[in-house]
This record gives sequence, C-alpha cells and structure tokens, in this order.
Amino acid sequence: MTPTVFLVDDDAALLRALGRLLREHGWQVETYPSAEAFLAQRDAQAPGCLVLDVSLPGLDGLALQGRLAEAGPVLPIVFLTGHGDIPMTVQAVKAGAVDFLTKPVAAERLLSAVQSAVAQDAQARQALAAGAALRQRFASLTEREREVLAGLVAGKLNKQIAADLGIVEQTVKFHRARIMERLQAHTVAELMHLAASAGFAAAPRD
Amino acid sequence: MTVPSEPQRRHGAACRNGTAWRRAVAALLLFAAGWLPCGVSYAAVAADHHVLLLFSNGRLLPANVEFDRGFTEVLAARPEPRVDLSVEFLDAPKFSGAAYEKTVADYLHDKYAARPPEVIIVGGEIALDFVLANRARMFPGVPVGFASVNTTHRAAVEPLPAGVIGSRVEYDFLRTAELALRWHPAARRLVVVTGTSPWDLDWEAQARRGAASLDKRVEVEFLAGLPAEALRKRLHELERDAVVFTPGYFRDGDGRNFVPREGARFVAAEAPVPVYGPYPTFIGTGVVGGVMASYVTMGRLVAGATLELLAGTPPAAVTLPKTVTNQVHVDWRQARRWGIAPEAVPADAVVQFREPSFWETYGHFVLIAGAVILVQSGLIVALLVERRLRRRTAAALAQSEQRMSLAAHAARLSMWIWDLGRKDGHGTRSAAPREHDGDGAVAFTDFKGVLATIHPQDRPAVEQAVERALTDGGEIEVEYRVTAPDGDTQWLATRGRAVEGGADRLLRGVTLDITLRKRAEAQADQDRAALRHMTRVSLLGQLSASIAHQLNQPLAAILSNAEAAQKMLQREPVDLAELREICNDIVAEDHRAAEVIRRLGALFKRGELALAPLDVNELVRDTLDLTRINLLTRHVSVSTHLAPELPPIDGDRVQLQQLLLNLIVNAADAMDATPAGERELAIGTALVGASVEIRVADRGPGIAPAELEHVFDPFWSTKSGGMGIGLAVCRSIAQAHRGSLQSSNAEGGGALFRVQLPVRAASSSAP
Repeated sequence: MTPTVFLVDDDAALLRALGRLLREHGWQVETYPSAEAFLAQRDAQAPGCLVLDVSLPGLDGLALQGRLAEAGPVLPIVFLTGHGDIPMTVQAVKAGAVDFLTKPVAAERLLSAVQSAVAQDAQARQALAAGAALRQRFASLTEREREVLAGLVAGKLNKQIAADLGIVEQTVKFHRARIMERLQAHTVAELMHLAASAGFAAAPRD
Repeated sequence: MTVPSEPQRRHGAACRNGTAWRRAVAALLLFAAGWLPCGVSYAAVAADHHVLLLFSNGRLLPANVEFDRGFTEVLAARPEPRVDLSVEFLDAPKFSGAAYEKTVADYLHDKYAARPPEVIIVGGEIALDFVLANRARMFPGVPVGFASVNTTHRAAVEPLPAGVIGSRVEYDFLRTAELALRWHPAARRLVVVTGTSPWDLDWEAQARRGAASLDKRVEVEFLAGLPAEALRKRLHELERDAVVFTPGYFRDGDGRNFVPREGARFVAAEAPVPVYGPYPTFIGTGVVGGVMASYVTMGRLVAGATLELLAGTPPAAVTLPKTVTNQVHVDWRQARRWGIAPEAVPADAVVQFREPSFWETYGHFVLIAGAVILVQSGLIVALLVERRLRRRTAAALAQSEQRMSLAAHAARLSMWIWDLGRKDGHGTRSAAPREHDGDGAVAFTDFKGVLATIHPQDRPAVEQAVERALTDGGEIEVEYRVTAPDGDTQWLATRGRAVEGGADRLLRGVTLDITLRKRAEAQADQDRAALRHMTRVSLLGQLSASIAHQLNQPLAAILSNAEAAQKMLQREPVDLAELREICNDIVAEDHRAAEVIRRLGALFKRGELALAPLDVNELVRDTLDLTRINLLTRHVSVSTHLAPELPPIDGDRVQLQQLLLNLIVNAADAMDATPAGERELAIGTALVGASVEIRVADRGPGIAPAELEHVFDPFWSTKSGGMGIGLAVCRSIAQAHRGSLQSSNAEGGGALFRVQLPVRAASSSAP
C-alpha cells in the first residue's frame, strides 16, 4: 500500500495549504479537521505518518498521541505548533514523536520530517510483518519437531535428544533437517537466532 | 350800675339770709348769758374732778417740768375719773416772806372758792409748808399729797397731820460723793460748791455733816457762797486729783438768782474736773451724774395716789412709798469724757445721752437702705450679667459669622441672590460686586451679569435649570464653567432655590468652586484609563502564546501555499486554476493576519471608553479564541452555553474583552492545582431582565465566603507574583458600562463570576 500522510489541524485554510504542498511533492494526503474525526474515520492499517497540530480543540494533539499508543502499533507523528513551548516539546518527544515543528513551517523541513516518519513506519511494518511470518512458521511445526527444536536450542547433542525423546538418532537428524527447512534457516546458528527471535523457550534441563 | 348775674344774685340772697341767722344766734346767746350767776364764773362740766397742783418754785424749774410730765402722763392714761387740773407756782425764792404768803393764800382761796379742789398736790418743801400753814384758811378738809420733799424737812417728819400723805425724797450727798469717789479712785480732794439762799444753806449744812465721814479718804473743801469770779478762779485752779459735788444754787455769792440747774451748769463748765450732783435735772449740763431721785417717777407716784384719793380711798390707805428710791443717773457723754469704765456703771442706772448706736438710730434706715441697695445691686448685677451675656452672644455671633466667612472662603463658597428681573420686565436692582469672590458675603447680582460669565456651552443648561427652579419652586443644582477675568476657566457648582413671594424673580443659593474637584476627577479618569491599559497589557503579555498562535496560523498557511505554488510552477503544464485558488487563499490569510494584528493593536492601545453596539456572544467567542492556546497548554477544557438570541449592548469592545480575558485567565489560574482531567471552564451568556449576563465558572477551590467582596479590592491576590489589580479594574469596567460584576461560588465547587451589562436602549443617546 502507498503510504498516506494524515493531516489533522482545526484551521481549514492551513489544512488546505499543507495538503496542497504535500500533494505537489507526490505524497498521498488525507485531511481531518479534528482528532476525533481522525480516530473515527481513518483506516487503522494504512501505512504512512501523522502530521498533527498540538493545540486542537477538544482532544488535543498530545492526548491523541496517548490514545493511539494505547491502540497498538503507532503511526509516527510529526507535531506542528503555532507557539513554541519547551515542556510540551519534551513531553511529545518522550512519548515518541518523530519531530516537533513550529508554524510557519518551511516546505523542506516538513517534507524531510514526513519522509523520515514514513520510512520509520515502513520499517516498523516490515519488522512487524517479518515477525508475523516467523511466528507463523513456528506455529506450523509439529509437536515432535518442537520438542527436537527445544533440545537443539538447549545445545544438546543429537544423541542426547534421541535419548530424551526415546527415538533413534537418525530420526532426530531427520527432524532437524525438516525444522531447518521450515524455518528457512541454513545453519544451526541461524536456527538458534530465529528461535530466539520468536521467543521460543528452551527445553528445561532435567 | 350793672345788672348782677344769676350766680351773683343767688350769692347775695344767701348772704342776706346768713346775716339774719347770725343775728338770731347772738341774741339767743346774750339771753342765755343773762342767766349766768354773777361774780367769778367757772365754766366746767360737773363730772370733772378738780385737782390743784402747787409748786414751790417757778414754772420753768426743770424739776417741776419733769414732775408735771410724769403726773399728767398717768392721769392721761386713765380716761376715768376725769380730772380737771389747776397748776400754781409759788415762785420761790424770787418771792418769799409772810406778806407774800398771805396774799397768795387769799388769792388761791378766792380763785377756787366757787369750785374748791378735791385734792391738793404740792411739790417741794416750801409749798408743803405753805399749804400746811394756810390749809384751814384756804381749803379745809381737802387731802394733801406732797412730793419732792426732803426727808430731812421737819414738815415731812412723822406724824403728819390728818389727810396729808406724801413721798419723801432723799437728796443724798453722801451716796453721790461715794459714787464719785468710786468712779475716780485717784481723787484726793472733794470740792463742794453751794450758794447763799436758805435752800442752798440747808444743802451746805447737809454736806458738812456728810463730809465728816469722808475725812479719812479725801480732803473736803467747801466753796460756799463765793462770788462768781472767785468761784471761777478757784475752780480753774483745781488739779487733776479733785472731784466736785454741787447741788446747784438758787442764789450765788453775788446775789444773783438762779435755778440749781443753771448753777450746776456753771460749775461744770468752769471745773476742769468731774462734777457730780444730786438732781436728775442736772444731767445734760455737764455734770457726770449722781445718786438721784427721778422727778418723773415722783410725778407718776403722786398721780397714782391722787387717783386713789379721787376714787374715795381714805388718805391713810393710799399706796405711796414713804421715800422715793434713788438710782444712779449718769450722763454717758461725761462718763466717757472722764474715762469711767462702762462696767462700773450699775445695770439699773438711768443712763442718758448714751448715743444710741448707729444701729439703734438708723436701724430702719439702714435696713431700708440696705434693702434698696440690695435690690439695686441685684438689678445692676442682673444688668451686668445680661450685658456680659449679650456681649458674649454678640462675640459668639461675630465669631460664628467669622467662622462661616472663613469656612465659606476655605470652601471657596459664595452666597448670592440672583435677580432675574421683575415679572413685568421692568428694572432690576443694580449689580453687586463680583459674585465669585468667595468671601462669604451674600452678593446680590443681576442674573444677566452672571450668565455673561458662563461658558457658552453651559449657558443653556444653566438657563434651563434656573427657569425650572422658578416655575416649580424646586431646587436648582447645576455645574458649569466660568471664564474668570484673568482668563482661567473655573468649574462651579451651584445649588439654589427660588425666593418666595414678591414680583421679583429671585433665586437664593450657594456657589462652590469645584475646579479642583473637576481636575481631580479628570486626573482620576486618566489614571484609571492608564491602569486599565497597564493591566490589559500585562494580561495580553500572559496571552502571548495565544497571540503568537493566532498570527502563526495565517502565516503558516501563507508560507505553505506559496511553497506549494512554487512547486506547481515547475510542472508542465501549470494548473492555473489551482494557482488562482492558492493566490486567493494567500490573500485571505493575509487579511486574516492583518485583522488579528489590528484587533490586538486595539487591545494594546490606550484609549478612552468608546461605546458601540456589540454582540456579546461574538465577543465571547472572539475572546475564547484568544485564550484557546493558553487554556490548552494548561489542559483546561472549555464548555460554552451561549444564549441564541441576545440583544446587542452598548460597549467598548477593547475594555469588555479585557474584562473577559481577565476572568478567563483567573479561572484557568484557579485550576492550577486541580487534577488535569478535571479542569473545566464554563462560559455562558443569557438575558437577565434588562441586562445581558456573561457567566464564567471554574472548578477550582472557589472563594471563601468572607472574601467574596474582597476579591475586588485593589492589591488583593492569591497568586504569588499577582498584582491583584485585575478584578478591581474589571469591576470598574463593568461599572463604566453601567453594569455590574459579582462573585459567588458555583454549585459544583469553584468560583462563578457574573457580568451584567445593560441592553442597548432602542433610541437613547450615549449615556
């Protein structure tokens, strides 16, 4: 999906102007006049970033930030403000804002911030996706394979694993091959790494 | 001959008649007289008792006079029995001898033959002897009473003949001499002066006898029968240690006749020492006094006896003391002269010539005079008091007037009477000196003259007020400007009232110079405006974030639009429509920014109150706009409840915005300590009666009930670093709009401020 820049500002004229600017630079833009409107109407899965005025009537920018954080993976936020306030800045940044810009904002600065934010978002999504795929592969392992993997992760020799599970060494080797194939790992070290990424717990030592 | 008048004729007739009467009476009297017996006639009323009083000596003998006084005094006191008294004098020693006595006896017998006396009273030895001797011849059987007969006289020696009674007198040489010696203890010599007549010789004999017992004490010298010159000479020679006794004399050494009293007088005059004598009649001649019998007493006693005899009492039974009691008699003047101590004078002494004390003589006068003086003094005092009171009143009045004048002067007050001319339009009284000199005098002025000095702009108002006062009879109260002769403009306040009655139209009143007050008011207005400006600026300072935001919005829009346009221009082909839109937006945003600056500029400007029609809701929204960023930063949520249809008010936008801003900022400040989620500011508008009401409520701690009014006090603030002027200025703004600002506590906690502003009147001029 193409990333979208979500603009939220109560000032209609400014909303229009910013929209024009961003569109001219090739971005896909969606504008909302208030935080409530954004929450109600947006597509929560859509990639992109949020350009947000801090001083919105009703639910203000920072509050929205908090609200979004609750809901799950967060769109990166670029804050805009008509008045500089240091405590506000600090708070916003601590909460994870990508940038904090003051109006009037020069096109360059805005575009650069949007670029970073969108890239950040893409990365995050990718990471998220990658993680999801991995978890799925892990989920496709059989019971037996999971047991063998547990032993491998624990650093046990094939012989040991065979003994633990009551099967022959050859079967262990066989399972091991199948695991590596499923998880798409080429070396044992990679396998270990993937397992760790997936949060696969080691088998308890007896 | 003239014809007599009527009264004349009447008078003449009366006279003629009167003459006839007189003739008749005279004839009758002559006829009656013919019946009177011949010889010596005695015309007396039958009821009278005849008493004959015979004195030895002459009529003028003082003893006789006194006796007579006492005698007649007693008789006069008793109207009954009626006594007809005849008095005769033997005139001894001028006349004496047997032949004389015989003549007198015959005379008396013949004289009183027709009516002989019932009682005969004799005074003195010679008279007694005479009557005793001739009694049988003259008036046989008539009782005789005697007085003033010496105890030594043989005829007085008991037993007396029948029908003769009397009271003797003792002329006591010895007792008098002893009195003299007692009163003059230093005396060494007693001089006795006597004369040559038989009576005098008797006295000399008595004195010699008595002197014998005095020999031991003093030397007794007798000057008997000396010629006047020799007597005088000897008396002059007497030394201090001598006292003199004299019974007076009837005949002196030269053979001249005296009465004893005059003899005593002579001796007293010539002697340089005290003189004493035995007769009370001597008192007053210069004699000091003596032990004496009172002739008055004698007369009284004998008169009493006479009355008893006339009543029929037998002579032997008549009460009469044998001897008259003697008393000390003293001439107080002489006693003082010779230094006799008052205590030495016995209490029962007969004192003469004691000058009655001043009080005794003039007591009455003194009392009356005293009373008069008192009354007069009282009057004088009253008058003086009244005068002083009057003076004090006058002074007080003068002082009061002075004070009033001073007060008038200090207060720059002048009192006046304005003359608007007679109703019929004819002349006015002449103008008095300058009216507004503030010296407290009431000046009488021609109103035209007054008007001339008044500022042209104020003249119509003054004229109107004056006319109204005259027609309604009410008060005039007006302020106006006046151009003083020196060119200065003064502000004056006049209060007055029409003067009742008369054809003249007069106004009486007071004028106060209020120039200073007006200046002070103007200054105060200026100061207030300055203060308002200052607080407004400081307020706006607090809203700098809002202001920045308000400007940054349009600027940002302009910038982004312009940059978008720049990018668009790189495209081929250029989207002209889009570009046009962009340009329109830019222009609009520029205007928007300009408007913000203009509005803010107005807020920053310092201006006078300029009222214009205003929509309160629009004002509230605009103000909230200004404060939005500020409130947001502080996490204050705002809820508005604006009444849909509000009539416009007359207001100064800048000042009302200042008022609202202040309330909103205060509300936000109040909630600093409130948890972030609970900070709620409620703003509402409503029509209440004839006013538009703006309510600003917060959820802060509220205001303590005791402080609800104090919050409007200048310099009252709960904020650290707060000046505390804000609410005071807010209230003054509300009041300047003829509205009000009140504080209270909201129901859900927190403070509530209500601003009430009167609705714009449909067709009124600016208030």
